[in-house]
Amino acid sequence: MAEHPAWSWSDHERARLDVLLRHCIQCGLCLPACATWVATGDETMSPRGRLLLVGELLADPTASISEPSVRTALDTCIGCQACSAVCPSGVPFALLETAVEAARASTPPPDVPRPVPLPVLLRLEDRTWLRALAWSSARGRDLLRLAFGPHWRRRVQGRRLWGICARLAGSVPRAPRSDRELVACLDGLAKGPSTPVGRLERPARPRESVVWFAGCANEGLLPDSSRRLRELLVWAGAGLVEPAGNTCCGALAAHAGQPRRAAALQNANLAAWGTGGDAAAIVTEASGCGVAVRGYGDRLPLPQIDAMVWLAGAERPAFGRVPLKVALHDPCHARHAQGIVREPRALLRAIPGLILLEPDEPDVCCGSGGLWSLSHGDLSATLGARKARLLAATGADLVVTANAGCLGQIADGLAVLPGEAPPVLPLGDLLWYAALRAVRS
Amino acid sequence: MAEAGEDLLAALRGLLGPAGLLTGRAALSVYARDASHLAWGRPLAVALPSREADVARIVALCAAAGVPVVARGAGTGLSGGAVPPPGALVLGTARLTDLGPVDADAGAVRAQPGVLNAALTRHAAPFGLHFAPDPSSQAASTIGGNIAENAGGPHCLRLGVTSHHLRALDWCDAHGRDWTTGEPVAVARGIDLRGLLCGSEGTLGVVTAAWLQLTPEPGAVETLLAEFPSLEEATSSVATLLRAGLLPVAVEIIDRPMALTVEEAFGFGLPTDVEAVMIVELAGAADAVTTQAAATAGVLRRAGARAVRKAGDAEERLALWQCRKRAFGAVGRLSPNYVSMDVVVPLGQLSGLVREIQQVRERFDVKIATAFHAGDGNLHPAVHYDERREGDAERAHAAADAIIRAALRRGGSVTGEHGVGLEKLHALPWQLDAATAGLLRAVKDTFDPRGLLNPGKALPSAPVREGAEGYAPLPAAPTGPVFTWDSLTVCAPASTPLAGIQEQALAHGLWLPLGLPGQAAGWGLDAGLTAGRAVDRLLTGPSWLARATARDLLLEVWATTGDGRPFHAGAPVFKNVAGYDLVRLLCGADGRLARLQALTMQLRPAPAAAWGWRLERMAEAPDSASPAAAVAVGALLKALTSGGDGLAGHQAIMERGQEDGWLSVVLLAAGPDSGTSAVELRQRLEAPARAAGLRFVVAERRPFARATELAPALGVPAWALSADSWTALQPRPGRGAGALPPVPRRLIWQDAPRVVWTPESSAPLSPSSGPRGAAAWLADRIVADGVEQPLPQPDGGVPCHLLRSLKRCFDPDLVLGGPVWLTEDADG
Repeated sequence: MAEHPAWSWSDHERARLDVLLRHCIQCGLCLPACATWVATGDETMSPRGRLLLVGELLADPTASISEPSVRTALDTCIGCQACSAVCPSGVPFALLETAVEAARASTPPPDVPRPVPLPVLLRLEDRTWLRALAWSSARGRDLLRLAFGPHWRRRVQGRRLWGICARLAGSVPRAPRSDRELVACLDGLAKGPSTPVGRLERPARPRESVVWFAGCANEGLLPDSSRRLRELLVWAGAGLVEPAGNTCCGALAAHAGQPRRAAALQNANLAAWGTGGDAAAIVTEASGCGVAVRGYGDRLPLPQIDAMVWLAGAERPAFGRVPLKVALHDPCHARHAQGIVREPRALLRAIPGLILLEPDEPDVCCGSGGLWSLSHGDLSATLGARKARLLAATGADLVVTANAGCLGQIADGLAVLPGEAPPVLPLGDLLWYAALRAVRS
Repeated sequence: MAEAGEDLLAALRGLLGPAGLLTGRAALSVYARDASHLAWGRPLAVALPSREADVARIVALCAAAGVPVVARGAGTGLSGGAVPPPGALVLGTARLTDLGPVDADAGAVRAQPGVLNAALTRHAAPFGLHFAPDPSSQAASTIGGNIAENAGGPHCLRLGVTSHHLRALDWCDAHGRDWTTGEPVAVARGIDLRGLLCGSEGTLGVVTAAWLQLTPEPGAVETLLAEFPSLEEATSSVATLLRAGLLPVAVEIIDRPMALTVEEAFGFGLPTDVEAVMIVELAGAADAVTTQAAATAGVLRRAGARAVRKAGDAEERLALWQCRKRAFGAVGRLSPNYVSMDVVVPLGQLSGLVREIQQVRERFDVKIATAFHAGDGNLHPAVHYDERREGDAERAHAAADAIIRAALRRGGSVTGEHGVGLEKLHALPWQLDAATAGLLRAVKDTFDPRGLLNPGKALPSAPVREGAEGYAPLPAAPTGPVFTWDSLTVCAPASTPLAGIQEQALAHGLWLPLGLPGQAAGWGLDAGLTAGRAVDRLLTGPSWLARATARDLLLEVWATTGDGRPFHAGAPVFKNVAGYDLVRLLCGADGRLARLQALTMQLRPAPAAAWGWRLERMAEAPDSASPAAAVAVGALLKALTSGGDGLAGHQAIMERGQEDGWLSVVLLAAGPDSGTSAVELRQRLEAPARAAGLRFVVAERRPFARATELAPALGVPAWALSADSWTALQPRPGRGAGALPPVPRRLIWQDAPRVVWTPESSAPLSPSSGPRGAAAWLADRIVADGVEQPLPQPDGGVPCHLLRSLKRCFDPDLVLGGPVWLTEDADG
């Protein structure tokens, strides 16, 4: 096979991509699951379309990955893996993402800048930096509120500069800091008497010891929600072990085209978990980390399990009553990449008085995609607004989701909706509140 | 040409904006393909309009530039219908996704063409309704695409294909002018433009919006999974099932190779040690479904099933259907390529064709996995191959052609639901005779004289002359009625009296759901009423709502044009999308297009029994408990339909007397009726009847063959058929309750919250003229009024010039029909 002068795939990659292409029967069932197709109606922005383009790149020496329309089509993929989940032929679309990444890395075309500058990517593992981001975006929101009133997000919609500022400030994930604030918020929604704020009860002895693997973004941006989730796990009988040397899972470095750095982080984690003692599993807080850790494969000393899956399977005390209509949004990394669908629903259904509502298009990505939302601002905002509209259309009092990125994206989408919109909270915070109600009632 | 192309692109960009017109290499590559694996050429550009009105503008600009237009939904078609010829403009409808409010009373909704089939059903779900056609691609395929291909799906056995669920289409012609097919009513007589456009693969016009018929969700569903050690026994059990009076909503068969594939892909737990797995789904009222499920299991066991089990819960049922609908995707895991087919044969020929497929498999040494819509006689054999292996593709295609020819020898059709597209062009002449092919070509030329709409698809491209080489001979028309019991069809000369057909069919437990049996003069029909007249006048019966007007029962016709050219359209099969739908075009056209010579109609399981009740106003009922007739009837109808589509395929007739003094309800119980449905129906009516000040005074049961005896027993006028006046009297969606016609004296209800309103003010229907008088008057009228009475003038927005040109295709000398028909000034 003749090597293309401007960019290249190794023979190994070509062979892998070929397998992918031969699996695809072009049925198109992936289209409605793909957020970028749903938002644009443009089939070049669909999994099948992208795969056809890669096929052409493999087969046609005159085709180039630098051709802008081809490049845009491939770059626009969020990587949500909804396509893999619905594909009847089992096309492993994740391979496509890796291959496109490799092609990009081999020859970054000079005329197309990287979507997000590398330094930004690497900083996101830095919790101090993240805390600073959380703080500054909160101040930014305060300023915007001062300038434009309580509906600032809607009012600056359409303005160029202010619109960008508002989108940036509006889509940074946040949740009530103090327990008091959270409880007041949920008490208000449930329109009941106020719940006394306190700590969750701890069982006398933990039933199972597990390694706790926190997400960088969760600890940096939502530190209190992260703490509450840990409390909840302990309440449910987990003995949390945090081995020294636990570090970032390496997903960010891998996405930034730094495989060596990713490998180093992976090795550090594996070394740390080797000392996990009698832990039965690695419980991951963030779904993105969960996928990355799962990707360590055979080298994992312990099975990886998502925090919500662990909670759903635990012999935990009963939740207290929460009379709310709740709409659940599944993060793609949980729903598609890990197949977590039943567990969060089982948890919510276990809360007395709670009515679980399912929005339309549950498998379509909200358009956060981590940093994808920065590189594809308009499309991301469109998808966020669409997702928010569908969630609000359920008539829910409250929206919950287990992922930090989705949380910010949906909060921003709900803020631009006309009329009253329900608030959005981390799933863990709602469960913590339900646990608190059980303890106090 | 290049310059003209540039001008066109500039104009389109001006109209749609840069985001609405894709000209990049990526788009031209991606939109050159669809789900068919066929390739032709690169399009000029891809237009993605966001406004309905832009569709016509785009077509007009292309017409002016002489550039072909290929409309495309989501590109999920399997026959290459959306694959563009080189240099064509692809008109993608993916951004036209507006859905109107659901009119729950009329069961109708207006949808733009880019709405996904599954999204429509989700939209209707809060109203307890759904869109019945459910092709396996329904998660991704669009309404526009479904209409263009006349899509089917597993559940069209009882509920019908897309064409049965259209009320009206808004569409634009090849010149870019907007038209409609008429008012969005459920049944309309006249030239059936919507029937012609549906399944025309975008070669006659582009649909810009559709009024669709929604179907109530069934109250209860049972899904059975039967394991057959023999594929032939499985296939032959289908007709046995239907002849036992059972009408499931779906009967599917998966053969062993397909079951193995599906198991490997999804691990559902299908048995893989048997030759065939059958899925039977029954739906309706809870009691009736339970009874029918037990009866079905019995029939299947006697027919050779090793085991029959029920799908446990809704979740398992959903998983089962997911498996079935994704079966073809799973094929991709086993072989890189496959030839997809959707041949359809008469039910009685299913086993024979299965045998022949086995022979083809051995003769050509190919792997074939088959999934069947068995209830429709529709097969999807997938011939596996690998395009990179020398000779593999040729062998697979030869095997596929052998299967198609086998199906045609057995009276089948090359395509039941995928469409002709590019894929089956070569096989179309094996099925069509030259005269019919010539007519199809003439229809195309009428609508699209320059051949700019989706050129090169759907029709044989070879020049068509009388007796042209390569076309099938004209099949011989029957000289007397021929019943094919195991295929559930009757083929008869057009002059055969309908009553005679009914008597013979009923003796075998089947009937044409037109009229009621047992009436003195026969079925409430004039003795002289022929099968041909029933089709010409679009005759209906109490059960027309179960897709049983003559339009829905007619499968095949032999006819002659006005200038004496004999032709033949359709096939004796339940699904057929080979060529334009001339069969539906002739239905209700009142003989103005062609003279019918003979026809084939579908027989259905006859109801087992008829139950009737008479309700009378309670003497002690206070005035306040006597609401206006509309309210009482409305409440009762709601009670009837509240359990979903209730009654498992039963039909009910409601009738009210003058001054709301009495009301009768008659239930025609389908299947092996044990009376449970009757009890359930009565229970449902009890409360609303009391509220309306009515009480049950008479309850009668008759075997179905003597159903009409219920009329005198209940003291109501005899039931008769009506072929008139309903266009004006049907509820029209979107107008609100205020626009409903006055409450009718007689409602015919079946499976749907739709209502046939028979003439309210016609004197002959009033009890005073006597039961017999009313029936005779109507029957006489059906027979006598034909020639003199003009068809209803088309509503505004209907292209009368096209209707006239269409007539000239069939009747160049204007000798058929009376003088008053679509006068030249009709379209102003």
